[in-house]
Amino acid sequence: MLIFITRRIGTMALTMLVVSLLLFLLLELNPGSVATKVLGPYSTEEQRRIWLEAHGYFDPLYERYFRWLTDFIRGDFGESTRFKVPVGDILWPRLGNTAILGLAVMAVVVPLSLTLGVLAGMKEGSSLDRGISISSIFFTSIPEFASAVFLASIFVFWLGWLPGTSGMSDGFDLRQLVLPVMVLVIYAFGYTVRMTRASMAEVMMTNYIRTAVLKGLPWRTVITKHALRNALIAPFTVLMLQINWLLSGVIVVEFFFAYKGFGALLLEASLNQDIFLIEACAMVAVFVAVGTQFVADVGYTYLNPRIRFS
Amino acid sequence: MNKRLENILKKPNGFHHHSYVPEVANKFVKGEVDRREFLRTATLLGVSLPAAYSFIGHVTGKSAFPKARAAGKRGGTFRMAMEVQEIGDPATYDWTQKSNVARWMVEYLTRTGSDNVTVPYLARGWEASDDLKTWTLHLQEGVKWSNGDDFNADDVVHNFTRWLDPAVGSSNLSLFSAMTDEVEVTRNGEKRMETRMREGAVEKIDDHTVRLHMKSAQLAVPENLYNYPAAIVHRRFDEEGGNLANNPVGTGPYSLERFSVGGDAMLRRREGYWGEEPLLDAIHYIDTGSDRSAMMAAIASSQVDAIYEVDVTQVDTLESIPGVVLHSGLTAQTAVCRMQVDKAPFDDVRVREAITASIDNQQILDLGYRGLGTAAENHHVGPMHPEYAELPRLKQDHDKAKRLLAEAGYPDGLTISIDVGQTQGPWELATVQAMREQLAPSGITLDINTMPAAQYWDIWTTTPFGLTAWTHRPLGVMVLNLAYRKGQSWNESNYDNPEFEKALDEANGLLDADERRKKMESVQTILQDDHVMVQSFWRDNFVATRDYVKDYSVHPTQYHQFEKVWLDK
Repeated sequence: MLIFITRRIGTMALTMLVVSLLLFLLLELNPGSVATKVLGPYSTEEQRRIWLEAHGYFDPLYERYFRWLTDFIRGDFGESTRFKVPVGDILWPRLGNTAILGLAVMAVVVPLSLTLGVLAGMKEGSSLDRGISISSIFFTSIPEFASAVFLASIFVFWLGWLPGTSGMSDGFDLRQLVLPVMVLVIYAFGYTVRMTRASMAEVMMTNYIRTAVLKGLPWRTVITKHALRNALIAPFTVLMLQINWLLSGVIVVEFFFAYKGFGALLLEASLNQDIFLIEACAMVAVFVAVGTQFVADVGYTYLNPRIRFS
Repeated sequence: MNKRLENILKKPNGFHHHSYVPEVANKFVKGEVDRREFLRTATLLGVSLPAAYSFIGHVTGKSAFPKARAAGKRGGTFRMAMEVQEIGDPATYDWTQKSNVARWMVEYLTRTGSDNVTVPYLARGWEASDDLKTWTLHLQEGVKWSNGDDFNADDVVHNFTRWLDPAVGSSNLSLFSAMTDEVEVTRNGEKRMETRMREGAVEKIDDHTVRLHMKSAQLAVPENLYNYPAAIVHRRFDEEGGNLANNPVGTGPYSLERFSVGGDAMLRRREGYWGEEPLLDAIHYIDTGSDRSAMMAAIASSQVDAIYEVDVTQVDTLESIPGVVLHSGLTAQTAVCRMQVDKAPFDDVRVREAITASIDNQQILDLGYRGLGTAAENHHVGPMHPEYAELPRLKQDHDKAKRLLAEAGYPDGLTISIDVGQTQGPWELATVQAMREQLAPSGITLDINTMPAAQYWDIWTTTPFGLTAWTHRPLGVMVLNLAYRKGQSWNESNYDNPEFEKALDEANGLLDADERRKKMESVQTILQDDHVMVQSFWRDNFVATRDYVKDYSVHPTQYHQFEKVWLDK
């Protein structure tokens, strides 16, 4: 197990190093644009050249990369050109906000999708299964921008029940969280329901479940003690991927509702070519991606003894 | 004009502020210039606003003083949805939004109102020499910085010095280029030309008087002093960190209570302000991102009292929301589809003319901006500018365009590409799409290359053909000086025409609006005939407020002036 974990951590580190190099090359090959971002579009060529000289942009590329990498490892992500503050000062609070949004979404999605998936998978082909399957496919097929507009039209412009933006400038407000969470839940729950259902249906067809039923165990015991644990392996992986998606896949929702999260920050950084911020955001996103994959792998081995013992 | 009337406009020492003052006064008495033009010219030349109003009152027999402020309610927090960007150094601002947060703390030497008239502010008055090369600024006395220091000439000298230092990175360097010289410097063993402030360009006369020395006639100095990066910071601004957000020392009526980029900015009224106190207790800018629909949702659900800007596509929706009021105003904000005259195929004037001849500007306005503005004439001066000269209307002529293209070597038509950053909204794309349809019958295929706004600002001075949004400027000559002179860093079309510059120089030195208008006729004609740009329209500006927001008026440059705004709730 230790070797397994060590190997996984090594792969993580290597992935991140390669990504860091690619990112640096992609973003910093044109230093002229950095100066334009810092000094603004109306700066003169001369002003930009003076700024670049003062900030070491005429040093060789490898020197700049290693300087950036060592600073990054030390936790110094540089200064955002758009926000004019250290990147960490904006990155961590935004990450925290997305974590709040993600937790709220997961708090609804996990019980809802597992319950519906198990209910659908218990009796494959039943009217309950068909109802749940069709509705989950329907909701998942609605893109976030469409459901955001649709829900805002109803609850903000028509009924006037909910606030239209979720910036929370006067502190945390649960009402402002409702619409973004609704949109994300509508989009995310269907996929997990489908995976849980498929997994559950497969388990229900296995011989050991048939044996459990035939030996006269109560239906509840068959489901909770025998079927569920095996049926949850696939949804567990899906949920891990959902965490990854919640981090950077919520751009549309955060942007639409002006929620101050990581996704909106990533978009803002990209639109404004805020290089240090893009680099830090991308590295965090990659870290979370490989991190959740790592947790999924370890969790998978725990849930599935066949992997653990192989 | 009798002596009693003339004395109203004189300085206490019995002299006129400028030799042209009695002449413009005489023209006003004879009815040759209107009230607004008189007010604009007289205040430009240093006549105080009360003296100018008093003069108008004596001539017309009616009080010309603006009505006293309505008995609005004092108090309340005015919440406005607007991007909250960094506000570190006012000299380097590149977005109006930055200045709108800062302008409540740091103020300007002059102030241009929504009526386009520039009046004294931190400078209580000024005088210009007859040749308009020397400007003497008289500063307000008794103004205190929020840290208790006196505001004085050292502050103004310090600001000019840093604006004109290329290392600071201020766009004021281009604006006040008449105060700079190109000098040869050696950096890292390499000789190069760099811009430096001219020796003696800013002279401190006494504690409250500063004199500016220009190398050429400058008509628009008072207007330029209200340009958004020209806010006056404290003389120790750089020593104390050079960051307004961290060290918000200013002369303005509000102090910064809370600030986070991309979050919000809370400004609260401070005690001891030198000027007239505004009615609002606090101004709260709330960032709802760059998505205009989020702003609309915020005002619809009363999360804010006003939104900074309404995109033209949202006008109908906002008008239909109960309790929301739409405000609009004609501005000199425009979109210029300029061609770089030194890059193929635009280096051939026949190609440029074929393009402009294919376009019907009124139709572009109707299709691109829903007709909510005024058709323009491809020379970047408009009817809102005091010196605007009306030229014959342009005619769309596809046959002429085809003939010109054939002469230029493109008998089978031409394919060109335009870069669009939609820096001011989706209407920019609609505008070039309408252009594409109008160019097609002439055999010109227009490919549209859209990109994020930030990316467009990277290439706005280098792309051969691009749509650039230009903001409002009170005088027509201001933008021509910045954008169409050889060597100017904002000359995005690389236009170079000595005849044009000579005519513009002459217009710059003329105080008489009628004379300047005559000269502007040739300036505008030269630029139009050189077919440097397709400039189809001047666009109206829209702002939405809740109906309890009173006495709100739209400023043409979107500068916030809320002193009279109050909340009826």
